[in-house]
Amino acid sequence: MNAAITPDVRRVLYAYAVAAAVLSLGAVLHPGFASWTSLRAVLVVAAFTGFVAAGQMLVVLVGGIDLSIPWVLNGAAIVLTTTSLGQSSRLPQALALALGVGALAGFANGMGVAWLGVPAVVMTLGMNGVLQGLSLGLSKGLTCASCGSYAPQPLRDLFVGGVAGIPAALLVWIGVALLMTVLLTLTTFGRRVYAVGVNSRAAFLSGVGVRGVTVALYTLSGVFAALAGIMLVGYGGQPSLGLGDPYLFESIAAVVVGGVSILGGRGHYLGVVAGSLTLVAVTTFLQAQRVPEYGRLMIYGLVILVILFAYGRDKAHD
Amino acid sequence: MRDLIGRLVPTQAGLGYIVLVATAAAYLIVYTSSLGRFPTSFDYLSILNTMLPLVFVAIGQSLVVLTGGIDLSVGGIVSLCVAVTATTVTGTGIAPFGWLIVVLVLGAACGAINGVIVAAGRIAPILATLATLSIFTGLALWVLPVPGGSIPSVVRNVLSNPNVPTGLIWLGVAIGGWLVLRRTRFGMRIYAVGSDETSARAVGVPAGRVKLGVYALSGLCGALASVFYVSTTTAGDANAGAPFILTSIASVVVGGVAFTGGRGSALGAVAGAVALTLVIDVLFFAGIDPLYQSLFQGLFLVVAVLLGTVATLVARRRRAAA
Repeated sequence: MNAAITPDVRRVLYAYAVAAAVLSLGAVLHPGFASWTSLRAVLVVAAFTGFVAAGQMLVVLVGGIDLSIPWVLNGAAIVLTTTSLGQSSRLPQALALALGVGALAGFANGMGVAWLGVPAVVMTLGMNGVLQGLSLGLSKGLTCASCGSYAPQPLRDLFVGGVAGIPAALLVWIGVALLMTVLLTLTTFGRRVYAVGVNSRAAFLSGVGVRGVTVALYTLSGVFAALAGIMLVGYGGQPSLGLGDPYLFESIAAVVVGGVSILGGRGHYLGVVAGSLTLVAVTTFLQAQRVPEYGRLMIYGLVILVILFAYGRDKAHD
Repeated sequence: MRDLIGRLVPTQAGLGYIVLVATAAAYLIVYTSSLGRFPTSFDYLSILNTMLPLVFVAIGQSLVVLTGGIDLSVGGIVSLCVAVTATTVTGTGIAPFGWLIVVLVLGAACGAINGVIVAAGRIAPILATLATLSIFTGLALWVLPVPGGSIPSVVRNVLSNPNVPTGLIWLGVAIGGWLVLRRTRFGMRIYAVGSDETSARAVGVPAGRVKLGVYALSGLCGALASVFYVSTTTAGDANAGAPFILTSIASVVVGGVAFTGGRGSALGAVAGAVALTLVIDVLFFAGIDPLYQSLFQGLFLVVAVLLGTVATLVARRRRAAA
């Protein structure tokens, strides 16, 4: 067969096949599911999953994991509204500050993992707690004077309205997908990321700055989580407590359904795009069918299991 | 002399006990200075009853982590078993105790499903249990759509009696169970699989069956935790299990069980679970705004692990120098 179809590319194709299957099944079972309005809603919601999954994928590629995503996202969302106070003139500073919070949290995660040798699960779990405590404490449980502020109007116009009929979240997602693909496949940095993920010791011995790469990836994960938080308040207007909680496990699921190996070293962001679409399409379809919450949770879990059995299995031991 | 110092420097596995002693001391100091008296037997009893569910989940989690895996589905198993306990364990006489057995079997069966998916399905533990977490949580919501249910006082008196420390007996049973387990062939095999699965397989350890066993035991521990949870709170909630996912992992970590598998002990995880429960009381009596609670818990987790890393480094340097 074609030599260009490596196992990695095959997994990306599987991910798109699954996404297409879920979308067409939805279209057959629920008339109107394939309409542009409905499809656009799926795409926009999938974009938010896609942002956090981008960060999660980067750390998974080097065999790590980021459990601090929920409160990095939530913290950035709160920082954005409380510093902008709903005024357009303060938007640039607020955006910089929110992204800065994400970058700082991610940087601290990376330093803890790469330099202090704290296991990724522990470091990022601890960071999630720290940020949750800071977000709740400093905003007095989101009851502070400035906590009632909305996201500035330009940001809301952008994300609720869109640009030339295309939702802004979707445009940003296309940008993120391009950036991720170029970064991982066409740059030396991308080469290094895969080298560290496949075998960090071998990478170190061949001169890759393993620690620097790791810190950079965790920092990027923090930035992506903050970006998702900013877009979510742009879309919804105000932050809420627990805004980021659903994204913890969903980001991991999207990464794996997208064909990325949880052990690191293998996977492409284009697969993760399909993974995010699949997960959101399943949830949206079940909601459209008025399946009660317990049914949605069970079917969601079963779908992930089936996909894992299809192309997410480890190699046999013998 | 150098030998003595070497022995006093804690190993990673001893970390849990040191953290526990430090937290308990902090609790005594903060309690006495804020209330002007020592904690009473009522305080100890309420701590005991509050910590039991986490202690059980942490034991189960530590067994899985010892084989190099992780069990995210404990949250779902606890939720499901809490829901079933709160709806079925009613009435008087022997019937409620019969239902308790059913709940324990259910928990073990849920865990066994995880074990089959991980061992026979060859799916990474974190992903397999992530999927079953969703399924078990869905089942819990189906059994108990709104929080409620109850538990008869006969059961309550046996499990977590608010007046007599019956919980101590169960804590003893759990610890005793581990001490026996780790001396059995199965116990040795847990460490063998966790240290090096390929070598373990090469010398004939049935790694698949060992994994099935630890996930089933983790499910059983989750069911035990649920029973004590309902007994203490006297009601059920289909979302009761969710917090246990992260707290059980934190207990295992503070208890010095290595995430790479093969190193640590369930006793360490018990110490970690007790310490994590005590920290909440320490923060409360220190007058810290409850909103900041998770900030200190997060710092506690990272600092505890850092201390362990530093201690291991110091011990290694000293051994190299000697």
